[in-house]
Amino acid sequence: MLGQFAVDPIWISRPSLIAERLWSLTLEGELWRNTQRTLVEASLGLALAFTVGVPIGIAMARYKYANAVAEPFIMSLYSLPRVALAPLFIIWFGIDLFSKVMMAFSTVLFIFMLNVHEGLKTMDRDLIDLFRTMRASRAYMTRKVLLPWIVPWIIASLRIGVGLSLVGAVVGELLGASAGLGWYIEKSAGRLDTTGVFVGLVMLTVLATIGNILVARLEARFSGWRP
Amino acid sequence: MTKPVNPQKLDGHASSGHDVPKISLRNLSVTYPSGDGTPVKVVQDVSLDVSPGQFVSIVGPSGCGKSTLLRVLSGLLEPASGTALVDGNPVTHAKDRVGFMFQRDTLLPWASAEENILVGAELARIPPQYIAERVKSLIGFLRLAGFEKNLPHQLSGGMRQRVALGRLLAYEPEIFLMDEPFGALDSQTKSAMGRELLRIWTEHRRSVLFVTHDIEEAVTLSDRVVVLSARPGRVKLDVNVDFERPRDPKVLRKDIRFIEMVDRIWSALDLQPI
Ligand SMILES: Nc1ncnc2c1ncn2[C@@H]1O[C@H](COP(=O)(O)OP(=O)(O)OP(=O)(O)O)[C@@H](O)[C@H]1O
Ligand SMILES: [Mg+2]
Repeated sequence: MLGQFAVDPIWISRPSLIAERLWSLTLEGELWRNTQRTLVEASLGLALAFTVGVPIGIAMARYKYANAVAEPFIMSLYSLPRVALAPLFIIWFGIDLFSKVMMAFSTVLFIFMLNVHEGLKTMDRDLIDLFRTMRASRAYMTRKVLLPWIVPWIIASLRIGVGLSLVGAVVGELLGASAGLGWYIEKSAGRLDTTGVFVGLVMLTVLATIGNILVARLEARFSGWRP
Repeated sequence: MTKPVNPQKLDGHASSGHDVPKISLRNLSVTYPSGDGTPVKVVQDVSLDVSPGQFVSIVGPSGCGKSTLLRVLSGLLEPASGTALVDGNPVTHAKDRVGFMFQRDTLLPWASAEENILVGAELARIPPQYIAERVKSLIGFLRLAGFEKNLPHQLSGGMRQRVALGRLLAYEPEIFLMDEPFGALDSQTKSAMGRELLRIWTEHRRSVLFVTHDIEEAVTLSDRVVVLSARPGRVKLDVNVDFERPRDPKVLRKDIRFIEMVDRIWSALDLQPI
């Protein structure tokens, strides 16, 4: 039984078959189309989460009282498995690109919000005080102290966000889509096409790896001051 | 040679009586909230005037509220009672620039030595065309040449303090609040920095409030040394240091009046057993 499980290509396919399929899909343009779709969904979601999450995180740190009221709600939304939102998002935003972008966005948003908030809570008060003694304007302090301070926290969020935005996009695709790697995996699995499933997984791994390399580059560029 | 001179003569315009003091603390008390909620008094009923151009040192046991006094003067902290005035105005409405050098080095960790000094010049509203030149001259002056592109963690402790001093000087304050600025330096560098500070002070005649643990340093540099008692800090002793300037530390150290004064300050400090 186990032996059969290990050999039968139905269950795990074979590297040679996967390579062949990758090649033929590349030639058809099918592979690129699906990969590109997932890439666009995940990166738009990630970018949107960054754009919305960072200011909210800053606001959470600045308006402490408002945050004290809002935080329980934020935390329960954060704890809600975002996967469960996918059907709703498909009803609201359709089966095309936008619903997957929103899935990726909602999965990553809280990471930025909570990380930036946490980063600002650990901010060096003396630095702020020193700038206050020199009567620095709020804009100057934001530019010179606050934003550089949260850069490492933003990079940490991106590091987690790369994987999570792919999760969001792919979960959306699994539930209803007409393109994307999640859709391709789902379609292949429906036909018991294990090779197709693995091709999808390989491409997701490639996307995640490229994302991680880019984040590592950013980190090397911007976090050098951390001794 | 160090001869005692008339303090009137030493201060020139400073102590001529009718002048508004540059810094004036009146019956100042400061409390902090403690762990169990009850307020702890850390400074009690301190009154202290600093004349324009006067160099005053504050010494006192650790935790007696020296840093706290400077924080009140820079407007960072509200006193529980009493007033803190700069040029007769409440500190929060002071027209003069008040420069503060913190006890801890507070450089921007992601910014180079040069960029850290630049901050002071920018906040002093120095016209942009002069800023680069100003920063460059400070780098040279503070013997930081060759290290201007280094980040703070790539500098030695003494260099970091010099960068912080550079930022303070770039800000061109009318009042210098310095909280153990040379505390982390070896004694040679410390006395060199002291000499530099005196040189700047002689040139510009700013009011300086200088916190230190080093009594000899205090006596060497200042016109006046104020001793605070253990917490809650009160003024325990206020001595005029009327040795003639310029002072040569090597000569001064052997002067019997210097030794006596250091001794007097030592005995005024009630050192707590640890
Ligand atoms: N933010 C704070 N909250 C509560 N207590 C504080 C706070 N800052 C200082 N204190 C307390 O106030 C007292 C005076 O502190 P301060 O830093 O002014 O002392 P200091 O004279 O500068 O001491 P040192 O010579 O060690 O620097 C200390 O006992 C300290 O524990
Ligand atoms: Mg202190």
